[in-house]
Amino acid sequence: MAEPDAVQTFEDGLADIRGAYEQALRDAADEPELRLVNGRYVGPQGELTKLLKLMPKLPGDRRRELGQRANALKQEIQSTFDAVLDSIHRHARDAELTGLPLDVTLPGRWPMPGRLHPITRIRNEVLEILVSLGFDVADGPEVELYENCFDKLGFPPDHPATDEHDTFFIEGGPSSGRHSVLLRTQTSTIQIREMSLRQPPLAIVSPGAVYRRDDDTTHSPMFFQLEGFLVDTDVTFAELKGVLTLFLRRLFDEHVAVRFRASYFPFVEPGGEVDMSCVFCRAWEGDKERTAACRVCKGNGWMEILGCGMIHPVVFENVGYDAEKYTGFAFGMGLDRIAMLKYGIPNIKLLYDNDVRFLSQF
Amino acid sequence: MLTSFRWLQELCPIDADVHEVAHRITQAGLEVEAIEEKGANLSGVVVAEVRTRAPHPKRDKLTLVTVFDGEAEHEVVCGAPNVPEPGGRVLFARPGAILPNGTTIEPRRVGGVESSGMICSEAELEVGADAEGIFIVDAENEALPGADVADALDLHDFVLDIGLTPNRPDCLGHVGIAREIGILFGKRCEPRKAAGPRRTFAAGASFQADQPTTDLVKLWDGQSELVDASALSSISVEIADGDRCPRYGAALVSGVQVGPSPFWLRYRLHNLGLRTLSNVVDATNLILLEWGHPIHGFDLHRLRGAKVVVRLAKDGETMATLDGIEREFTADDLLICDGRGPVAVAGVMGGSDSEIRDDTKDILIECAYFDPRSIRRTSRRLGLQTDSSHRFERGVDPEAVPRVMASAASLIAELGEGASATTAIDRVAIAHSPKSIAFRPARAARLLGTEIEAEDSQRILEAVGCRLVDETGKVFTFEAPSWRPDLGREVDLIEEVARVRGYDEIPTAVPRVRPSESGTPEVLRFISALRTAAVTTGLYEAVNYAFLSVEDLQKARVSTEVVSLANPLSEERSAMRTSLLPGLAGAATRAQRHGATEVQLFELARTFHPSDDPLPREDTALAILLAGNRSGWIGDEQPFEFYDGKGVLEAILDRVIGQRPDFTQGEVPAFMHPKRSAIVSLAGRAVGFVGEIHPDVGDALELHGRVVYAEIDVALLHAISEELGTPQGHLLPKFPAVTRDIAMLVREEFTAGEIATALSEASGGLAESVRLFDLYRGDQIPEGHRSLAFRMTYRDPESTLTDKRVDKAHAKVAELARDRFQATIR
Repeated sequence: MAEPDAVQTFEDGLADIRGAYEQALRDAADEPELRLVNGRYVGPQGELTKLLKLMPKLPGDRRRELGQRANALKQEIQSTFDAVLDSIHRHARDAELTGLPLDVTLPGRWPMPGRLHPITRIRNEVLEILVSLGFDVADGPEVELYENCFDKLGFPPDHPATDEHDTFFIEGGPSSGRHSVLLRTQTSTIQIREMSLRQPPLAIVSPGAVYRRDDDTTHSPMFFQLEGFLVDTDVTFAELKGVLTLFLRRLFDEHVAVRFRASYFPFVEPGGEVDMSCVFCRAWEGDKERTAACRVCKGNGWMEILGCGMIHPVVFENVGYDAEKYTGFAFGMGLDRIAMLKYGIPNIKLLYDNDVRFLSQF
Repeated sequence: MLTSFRWLQELCPIDADVHEVAHRITQAGLEVEAIEEKGANLSGVVVAEVRTRAPHPKRDKLTLVTVFDGEAEHEVVCGAPNVPEPGGRVLFARPGAILPNGTTIEPRRVGGVESSGMICSEAELEVGADAEGIFIVDAENEALPGADVADALDLHDFVLDIGLTPNRPDCLGHVGIAREIGILFGKRCEPRKAAGPRRTFAAGASFQADQPTTDLVKLWDGQSELVDASALSSISVEIADGDRCPRYGAALVSGVQVGPSPFWLRYRLHNLGLRTLSNVVDATNLILLEWGHPIHGFDLHRLRGAKVVVRLAKDGETMATLDGIEREFTADDLLICDGRGPVAVAGVMGGSDSEIRDDTKDILIECAYFDPRSIRRTSRRLGLQTDSSHRFERGVDPEAVPRVMASAASLIAELGEGASATTAIDRVAIAHSPKSIAFRPARAARLLGTEIEAEDSQRILEAVGCRLVDETGKVFTFEAPSWRPDLGREVDLIEEVARVRGYDEIPTAVPRVRPSESGTPEVLRFISALRTAAVTTGLYEAVNYAFLSVEDLQKARVSTEVVSLANPLSEERSAMRTSLLPGLAGAATRAQRHGATEVQLFELARTFHPSDDPLPREDTALAILLAGNRSGWIGDEQPFEFYDGKGVLEAILDRVIGQRPDFTQGEVPAFMHPKRSAIVSLAGRAVGFVGEIHPDVGDALELHGRVVYAEIDVALLHAISEELGTPQGHLLPKFPAVTRDIAMLVREEFTAGEIATALSEASGGLAESVRLFDLYRGDQIPEGHRSLAFRMTYRDPESTLTDKRVDKAHAKVAELARDRFQATIR
């Protein structure tokens, strides 16, 4: 049943709202306040909402017209709301764009990665070069048979060549000698293992831990070596020189000079050691004063870097290869030493202390 | 080996300075590790003549000496007891002189008397070891006051420290190194009779290698009285074991006066690192350094029964060696015996009973060739490494015995003042037979990668001492020299040619590497990927020693069934690790000790376990240890706990395998926390564990706070990874998903994982994922309960979901939560 007062109430309501809303919305200081004010008109309990609930009480002939006016007002409120909101956002953005900058010196917020151990890091660098030259990677046990570490590599029995390999023996079997079990003193054992399993051509590098009974300021009883060897039908000493020169130049500096001199390892012949120009004083640049003062090469401009040679025929014979048909070269290096040179690590003991202050330097 | 450059020049005069010689021999395999100039650091020290000598007015033991240094007289206070009479000459450090130890000589007052300069002992000038008294210039020395000490005493020299490889025993003496220099500089250098600045030599002695084998050799016919030849012929030398002692020479020197050696000899030995004792002992050492061939002197009258027998010991036989230690021998040790028993350990050390003493008159000099392996075994067994054993075990020149013996006898006779040496015995049990070695220039070219003219190779090999005995077609046959036991096969000769020419002469080539069929084992790449992933998640890589003490293992409650070392350096490093925990825990303990707040370590390495095979089992494990705080943003640090370990493992495995592992309650090792640890499994197989370390173990390891530890079996993980294969791509869903949340109050004993799995199953296949997004305990939550909220994502891959279907599925999910977990849905 239509109530005549209802029309009046409705119209008064619309007029009140129309008179007040715009100022109220525009007075809002921020978005929450704006939404609050907006809610007072068009929220579930808002004044306009309440008016709209009166609609059924309006007389039929006025209902349509009043309804349209109410909706029109609602839309006006909405567009004012949108405009004010927009302006508030704009103000906030302007304030951010023109105000005080962020304190960009506060810490970043993302977990930091850790670091690889320098031994791993140098191993990766070395392997990347050698693998790109065509070498495969292999692996072998750290606890070894005496014969793989010495006999088959051509160490004569009871020979002082084993003196440089002060060996840890494993308890339980013979504690020395050819039937014993030991901690390998060199990664050259991998030559015997791989050649016993496979036929040439073979191009293999093998990094790993080795052990010697040496513990002083420059020796660690456990350290890391990398062995490399190539066996095929016509491998030459010239190629050994080529590969190692290229390797050292890629690893250290394209300008380093490399020299080969005679030396002795039972499993290679001719055997040699490789010196390269000192990378600390950059000896190849010829600054004599700097080299003279260099604590690493002690002024002579060269540093010993690896051992090498042509694989001894006795090694081929011991693994059942035809020593007339095949030739090969082998080389070995101390990864610790190379890491120390390349990363300027002053003391080998730092490598095995696992002090995070040290590890985080790499 | 320390080497006198001066001596080398006497043996092989060449026109090159010390640095060039050092460089050339280094390139050829005799690595010069250091060069030290001698006699160059004594400026300001001169010969001075004593003019007056008087007691010090106040101090008993001091003398006032006036010396004339060629320019002026100086008054000096001297504390030495042996100031010579006026006219005697001493070594005088003028004021301003700097001694080798760095002291600057300045005038100073001693007991009220001004002392201007210093009269020096040989120790103060570092030209000898004698510090007892001042050095008195020999009467025969013609140096005038004012003469520079280095010139007057002939001190100029360079000492080369050569690092010799064990294949070159021929270079363990100056003669051998001089020979090598001769080869490299193209100068023929005959091993000459022994040299020394003031030595005279046996005239007319003949030192042929092919000497008669057993008879007396005429050694010395100088001016001295002839020795009674019957003295030596009455001594018998018997070699009972020719394999161990193929050759034994004995020379007699009679009428020796044992006394101090002349300065030149003491100076030379001093520079080369040997102590000086007496003329006879010094002479044997000089011969050792000259020829690289050890000799031994016996006091003839202490050899009982006028007899020398070279034989194997009887098990348990004993003798006191020169160092005063009673040694016990086995039947594998070679002894030199007299008529009654052992007098020396062959090639290693003499016995104390027969050693040369101050009153020794007649000396029997032994010069022998012993089997290297025998000497080495004995030396190792006795733990007795001497200059002698060092050379014998590498192999001395068997053919040098007569030369060395003659040289030694004449030197001792000369130094022994009036002594004479005429006769010797040279007993050969097994004659040296030179090795014949075929050499093919073509093979050398193929191995070295460069052609070398056959004549060049031949010239080099002959210079080295090889003798061409046959040339057939393209094969040359050489006999190796007796002093090069390392030359035995063709490749040895190829090395000689390459070495003498210089490795620099070989060109450089880069080979074409033919790929092998098998390539690099996949597991090695996998290990590398694991390391990278571990670092990416924030861990630092540790590398620990693989050996530790059994106590370390016990403390960590890991397996103590260990692979032990028979000869560890110390108890702390006597067992191979069975777990990576002790090593990482040690690093963490040290880190905490120096105040590190966060320790995030991993190690990927091997553990060792006894097995029935000849070699122990080596397992590769990945271990992770977290201690302290996880770093947050500005004061947001939280102590590490189980979930950090779990998260790290998920991150690593997700990256490497493309899948997260499952974590379940189960039996973890005893060192892990029984309630805060989990088994890690993948594809239904346990690959390791993660959790917090048992608090008692943490205490034992001296770690503070909760410590998270995880260990993964790398081989197993790799095997599973291979089975799972490479991640495969899928099309993205075509139809939209609908999410609904379900929050519930449940008792603590139900795990979030089992609830989530059950919810997913209850959805009738419609739930694509179930994610826990809220966990709450505390106010308004009954004791023993927690509130869990899951976000269910529903999707039908084939069609767009209707609300009705989702409502239905979600209702079933809620129903299950109520029924199975007695959950109160909130």
